Amino acid sequence: MGEKLTIDSTLTCDVLVIGAGGAGLRAAARIAEKRPETKIIALTKVVSPQKSHTTTSQGGMAAVDPRDPEDRPLFHMFDTWKGSDCSADQNVIKKVCDLGWEEIVWLERHGMHFSRTEQGRVAKRPFGGHMLNFGEKKASRACFEADRTGKGIMDTVWNESLKYGVSFIGQCIATELLFNNGVCIGAVIFRYPEGKFIAMLAKATIMATGGNARMYLVTSNCRGNTGDGLAIALHAGLPLMDPEAVQFHPTGIVGPGILASEALRGEGAILRNKDEEPFMERYAPTAKDLAPRDLVSRAIMQEIREGRGLYHEGHRAQHVWLDLRHLPKEVHEKKLQEVCSFFKRFVGVDPQKDLCPVAPTAHYQMGGIPTNEFGEVQRDPNLIVPGLFACGEVAAASLHGLNRLGTNSMLELITMGSVTGDQVVAYLRDSEEPQGLPPDAGHIVFDQFSTYINSQGTESYAQIRDSLRTLMQEKVGIFRAEKPLIEAIEKLKELKEKATRIPPGTASLHANQDLWQVWELNNLITVSMTIAQGALARQESRGGHYREDYPARSDEFNYHTLVYMPRFGEIAFDKRPIDMSIFKAQGERYELFDYIERKY
Amino acid sequence: MSDLYVITLEISRYDPDTNLSWIQSYQVEARGILRFVDVLRKINDEQDPTLAWASSCEHAQCGSCGIIVNGKPMLACELLVQNAVAEFNTHTFSLRPLNIAPVIRDLVVDLEKAYDKVHQIKPYLIKPAPPPEQGDEYRISPETVDKYVEATRCINCFCCATACISSHRHFLGPNATMANIVRLMDPRETAKEERMETLYREDGVYRCHTSRACSFVCPKEIDISHFLALGKEGRF
Repeated sequence: MGEKLTIDSTLTCDVLVIGAGGAGLRAAARIAEKRPETKIIALTKVVSPQKSHTTTSQGGMAAVDPRDPEDRPLFHMFDTWKGSDCSADQNVIKKVCDLGWEEIVWLERHGMHFSRTEQGRVAKRPFGGHMLNFGEKKASRACFEADRTGKGIMDTVWNESLKYGVSFIGQCIATELLFNNGVCIGAVIFRYPEGKFIAMLAKATIMATGGNARMYLVTSNCRGNTGDGLAIALHAGLPLMDPEAVQFHPTGIVGPGILASEALRGEGAILRNKDEEPFMERYAPTAKDLAPRDLVSRAIMQEIREGRGLYHEGHRAQHVWLDLRHLPKEVHEKKLQEVCSFFKRFVGVDPQKDLCPVAPTAHYQMGGIPTNEFGEVQRDPNLIVPGLFACGEVAAASLHGLNRLGTNSMLELITMGSVTGDQVVAYLRDSEEPQGLPPDAGHIVFDQFSTYINSQGTESYAQIRDSLRTLMQEKVGIFRAEKPLIEAIEKLKELKEKATRIPPGTASLHANQDLWQVWELNNLITVSMTIAQGALARQESRGGHYREDYPARSDEFNYHTLVYMPRFGEIAFDKRPIDMSIFKAQGERYELFDYIERKY
Repeated sequence: MSDLYVITLEISRYDPDTNLSWIQSYQVEARGILRFVDVLRKINDEQDPTLAWASSCEHAQCGSCGIIVNGKPMLACELLVQNAVAEFNTHTFSLRPLNIAPVIRDLVVDLEKAYDKVHQIKPYLIKPAPPPEQGDEYRISPETVDKYVEATRCINCFCCATACISSHRHFLGPNATMANIVRLMDPRETAKEERMETLYREDGVYRCHTSRACSFVCPKEIDISHFLALGKEGRF
């Protein structure tokens, strides 16, 4: 195709939200509530915000009502700190845990269909790592809507954004961020149906593009979770924080890795090996099946490695059992209706009668684009990028450090979305209209698309994608070590190079699925490189990052990793200190917020 | 379970560049436990990278991958090869795009346009009841929620709207109408009159002929026609 790629049109707005999932639209709704005249445009890859990945979240959203007679926000803060393996930021922990209940009430009053107690109040259930009295016994802290809490949350923030007149542009990708003198002034986007590039000029831009786990062979993530936001941030010279912190959820349904919520274990389900032994008792004597996800995932893999797993013929994959047979019928049919149906539909087992095959599945990135506690993106620990904000899974504030507790993600999306919205409102007071497009706007994506459309190569998209996913699963997965990580980095360079030689199926820009997927594949390889590099540099084990050659946590690594990669392979590292403000304030039981030993 | 099937997919193609439409046949060897989305991916990988189809979550939670398989609208992510062979008693399947929105390419339709109808009924609380005195959440008994909770499981995949025998040009459609009825049943909504006006207007619930096709095809097994019947009777 000889045709020159150009920007087709330019749209202006006050706030551009890239990614219309839970966090992006909570921010949008917050801004619209506080400053109704704001012109907000929210972009999404899918056809409607309702189809965002947030909607697949199942189990709940953690939040403590400050008037709760048993539970306290302080216990929640401690659990989050301990769960993170002492690597989350305490200023963010405090802020988010304190705000949680207010946001539950906001969701409820704006129409979310929470499950209820007999008294008609929002019901709660236990979840992994959430405990009373600093780790004494399990806490019921996760507010939920059956096992479709994410859908309830997503519908509510989507509906509210709709109510306030936020404009949505679907079926599009943001391909590069635009800057003027270091101030972010919007982004270039590409629309799938028409195959056109549009420049979006905005006073403030919020990145909320979500996760990236599609680089793993087994993942709970949507087809579109390809780390696009992270890749465009890297291209813009911004760092990623803690990219090595990948969460593997212990119970993916064997095969594709569809999520089987921790709520199953919250309601009493038990993991068993091939001898039907409830093996978690050996790994976490107190918390057992409700230990944090990193511990449970490693325990499952340990069972499989030592020959106590099983083999699923249909999916040709190893697994252990999740036992739900003893749970009351009501739990199967109402509280866990969706997940129980997944086992029936996708693997043909009836959880009321049969054991269910599960194995860990790549689920969540704890790291992401570094922000401060207000959602402002940082270029380095002391410098923010004016006009650019980030919240939700794509961002690292960091609430989760190197391991996230279940139901803290929904909490983070909503509270940090709201906090970021407030900060954007403050920012808009003094911000100016962007003065026109930078002359080179679009050059990154034009270059990427032209390379593909004009490629004469013979490489196969499918082979590169499958090699990447197998590579990441085997060498940058739950268990890591120096040699395989170095091998992975070399292989990633090779895959990146091969990806420039995929021949186009069609040179058309209209709804060209292949073009879109090759662009995503490049993002996956880019982000995979930062994960592997971060994992190689962190010579310790902490949270979801486990090094077999350095199996203990080390105080030497009490910091966040920052990785820069403005061009593929050109890596630079920096560090960000872990915020210890709860510890330093010397309040009640502050000693527990030191670098404590982590046992469950 | 790990049986290998050889199936033929006869897929509706549409090329927006040439404005041509045709049926293309693909023969695929697939394990019985694979989903139709896996089969479509296999076609892309091994035979034809240009075949376009839509999906997102691929486990029946988002409703992006609706297609018409042998005349029945369903989610491609939920249909396993072995179940398809059993349900339709054939190894040949015709795959058509949903008919409720313009086709963008092949099996991809512009659901953004279909969503207009959902937006029209205002799925949010138009006028929420004043907050309770305690200043926190509304109290709603589990029995009250039970009356409409099934309807809140709708993911707007538009399978029901595709199956509906009332023309979608003249009807808001089963899913959008049901979303309106949910808010009529929701004790927190006070804008009941506005909602009833939408419910009973020209393209409202009386367009429904009670064929129950919606309930029959709903991938979430929601009894949509039950809610539409409540709407017709005014029993919210």
